Amino acid sequence: MNKLLLCIALGLFLNTVGAQNRFFTKDAKINFNSSTSLEDIVAESNQATTFIDIDKNEVAFSVLTTSFKFRRALMEEHFNENYIESSKFPKAKFSGKIVTAIDWKSEKLVIVEVKGQLTIHGVTKDVSFKAQITPGKGKVIANAEIMVTPEDFAIAIPSVVRDKIAKEVTIKIDAVYTLYQP
Amino acid sequence: MIMTKPNLLRILLWIILVGIVVGSASVYYIFNMPRRNISKEKAVYALEAKQLISEFKKDEDSATKKYLDKTILVKGEIKSIRILNNHGMVFSLEDEMEGVSCSVDSADVVNNALKIAQFVKGSMGSFKGRCSGMLMDIQVINCVPE
Repeated sequence: MNKLLLCIALGLFLNTVGAQNRFFTKDAKINFNSSTSLEDIVAESNQATTFIDIDKNEVAFSVLTTSFKFRRALMEEHFNENYIESSKFPKAKFSGKIVTAIDWKSEKLVIVEVKGQLTIHGVTKDVSFKAQITPGKGKVIANAEIMVTPEDFAIAIPSVVRDKIAKEVTIKIDAVYTLYQP
Repeated sequence: MIMTKPNLLRILLWIILVGIVVGSASVYYIFNMPRRNISKEKAVYALEAKQLISEFKKDEDSATKKYLDKTILVKGEIKSIRILNNHGMVFSLEDEMEGVSCSVDSADVVNNALKIAQFVKGSMGSFKGRCSGMLMDIQVINCVPE
């Protein structure tokens, strides 16, 4: 069980029974792009689970690394076996806080700053990034971009292919949250 | 027979040529290797969704080791059906939040439209797919209905 998601899903629920303060989706889209002029490397997963707690301005998301799809089967194999080592580290996750003040009743798009910890390949790093959030009635639409460097997460890329993979990888997140009603 | 020099050279050239052709063909094949076709794979494990859930809840690490990336056939009661933006579908077995989520890619939804049309909330469903581990739910991807 992903303890982080469970804590946010259940733990917070016990504190505020009946309050409509948590939004979630299990079908968030996460894609990353590490293309260079030598090679197009884009992968996508539609199976990220994410929660937003609008009382505490907390955000968490989690994705299984084998759910990423690449253009080529060979890329998928290299990603899972050599780089991310999915059998050892099957999940990537983030947990953090929206640090910008946000009016969840506004129903207007706002750009906020999010800070927290990102775990990839078993390595946890502090990250901060901008996110666009549109609160709505019973739903929240959010998207964000995070820039990461593979080497920061102890992902070893052989020098032979180093020029084919971007130094900085862009992770994009698109999520449409609905009210969490356990 | 004693080989003359030109003969030996010709044989060597042929060997090099064949080597180049076989080598390039192998590289081309590996580079463009086909994706796994789950519908043609035999399930390594066939089990009830309830049993899979209890194995993961009991010991997630060892269940992940056992099932990750394996083709499995799971059967259970469909608790929710979701259609994704790209027209793929997700069927949650036994529990919407903490059950088994079987996702069917859009092409497989089209190829198995008749079977999928029979699935409704509360009916039993069997899906063969690749286990990608557990978040809140256990995810089985690239599923085809059985």
